[in-house]
Amino acid sequence: MIEVKNLTFSYGKDKQALHGLNFTVGDGEIFGFLGPNGSGKSTTQKILTGILKGHGGYVSVFGQDISTVHTKDFFGKIGVLFEFPYLYANLSVIDNLKYFASFYPANQCRDIGEILEKLEFKTDYLKKPVSSYSKGMRQRVSMARALVSSPRLLFLDEPTSGLDPSGAVLFRNIIEEERKKGTTVFLTTHNMLDADLLCDRVAFISDGTIVALDTPNRLKEQNSNHCIKIVYQYQGRREEKTIEASELQAGISFPHDEIISIHSEEPTLEDMFIQYTGRGLL
Amino acid sequence: MIYSLLKKDFQMLISGKFFLVALGSLVLYTLFIHFGYIHYMHAELYHVYLYDPQGTQGETSDLACPVASQEELDAALSGDTNGVGIDASSGVPEIFFYFGSEKTDNHRADYALSLLQWQKDYKAQVVGSNTPELKQRKEMCCELLFIEIIAVGFLGIASVLFKEKQMGVIRVHAVLPCPKSLFIVSKILLFLLSDLVFAALMVVLNIGFPDAVVILPAVLTQTAILSLIMSLTGFGCTMMLKDFRQFSLAYLVIAIFVAAPVFLSANTSVKMAWINWHPFYHVYMGLKNACFGTPAANPVYYICSVCGIAALFLIVRAAFHREMKKEG
Repeated sequence: MIEVKNLTFSYGKDKQALHGLNFTVGDGEIFGFLGPNGSGKSTTQKILTGILKGHGGYVSVFGQDISTVHTKDFFGKIGVLFEFPYLYANLSVIDNLKYFASFYPANQCRDIGEILEKLEFKTDYLKKPVSSYSKGMRQRVSMARALVSSPRLLFLDEPTSGLDPSGAVLFRNIIEEERKKGTTVFLTTHNMLDADLLCDRVAFISDGTIVALDTPNRLKEQNSNHCIKIVYQYQGRREEKTIEASELQAGISFPHDEIISIHSEEPTLEDMFIQYTGRGLL
Repeated sequence: MIYSLLKKDFQMLISGKFFLVALGSLVLYTLFIHFGYIHYMHAELYHVYLYDPQGTQGETSDLACPVASQEELDAALSGDTNGVGIDASSGVPEIFFYFGSEKTDNHRADYALSLLQWQKDYKAQVVGSNTPELKQRKEMCCELLFIEIIAVGFLGIASVLFKEKQMGVIRVHAVLPCPKSLFIVSKILLFLLSDLVFAALMVVLNIGFPDAVVILPAVLTQTAILSLIMSLTGFGCTMMLKDFRQFSLAYLVIAIFVAAPVFLSANTSVKMAWINWHPFYHVYMGLKNACFGTPAANPVYYICSVCGIAALFLIVRAAFHREMKKEG
């Protein structure tokens, strides 16, 4: 679906933003693009969505070189959820969605009511202007806008931002559903839980360079110390012990009265983020 | 697609109360012309200064002020720039105006000469069919129309676009499957239609239907030229400037450097040698001549207007594309 070879981009003489990125995204894959602020995520996404021109290297989307792609056809096949909910604040959700849907062929568009129902949008707000909506509701409308044209390729930038935990779960389910339909998802996020739960593969980008690219599980395994922490009760005292995972095959050898919990010492995706990018998450 | 854009822009203009402001302006201008300007702005009689040392003109009207010398005549005209001087020292009356206004106007010259022959049946040269009241109406109508399009149209498009800029929706249009120029065209078209309706109503309400019908095609043509220039300028400034505060400063610059010299040159005796290089002077004169039934016939004027509008459109398009690429 997406093929990127030696992608470079510069905003000026001394402002090289991307230093030769290489990656591919397969059909129906959810690909996570993770990195700290200013690392080149947005620039990459803008090139992939055809907004930024003048890049170096080769970028192909839908099997066509992005520099020569016919824009109307191209934009008709993608859906974009921006980092912020860009909506007409004076119009209602219905008017917003009708407006944005009107740019696509009618037979391609999904039923607005159905999408809003799926996004659990409060029906009493349907005719109220967007300016009266909460952040979470605006994010729902933005998601509906991205989905209304039944895109084959979905670019999602911080999709669960501004949502409460149940909203975040709902969005993750919807993204999963889209993938099941065959939609390819390019996910840009700081939310490592989203990336871990949703992505087939993730790429860590730092200072315009991809520093790691693999499935979340493999990345975690590669950086794991293969230890297990066991919390147990022995002679009335609560104690804990860290052992090699392989030691567990022979059973728990040390004296104990009761096992309270067993924790894998595998690093989280957040640990990976910090390790690869050298920066923590804010 | 263009229908959706037009519908959305129309909704934006309604929610921004643009039409209400335009209607308010129309009512205010009409009331001013009908009940203010026409009733209270009667022009004073022009003073006529006569230098006739030999008394060659016989018995003249008491309204002609005799002066004793050529120097006194010059001094009188310097102090009264609307006055008319007659030098009859050679026996043949020669008309003089204040040096800055030597090209104005036959009306005053005719009036001055009539004072020399006030007891005879002097036949003034009739230029055009406008009564003094109709002339006043047309003059004021033209000036207010020019101000309305320069100010309200320019600020109107900015108020709508700054809202869209703040909402970030311009960036969404970067990924929509439509020609990006349509976003500009839709807005310009809507403001053009609004200005044309405003101009038509302004002319009909203040000049009267029978006279308005005759001049309307030419007035609408000039309105269209001015409207396109101003809305494109407003669009471009909005894309390039950060906020409405900066835009207000830009408007101030336009008001001071664009409108003021044009009004001064066209309506007063202030003379500016460079005014012929000022594009808005020609647009204003085009509108004024259209109001007086003598539309601009020079093809160079129309060619320059079309080229100017096309150049502005290209600048606006570039600024719009730059805005779409900006970060959130």
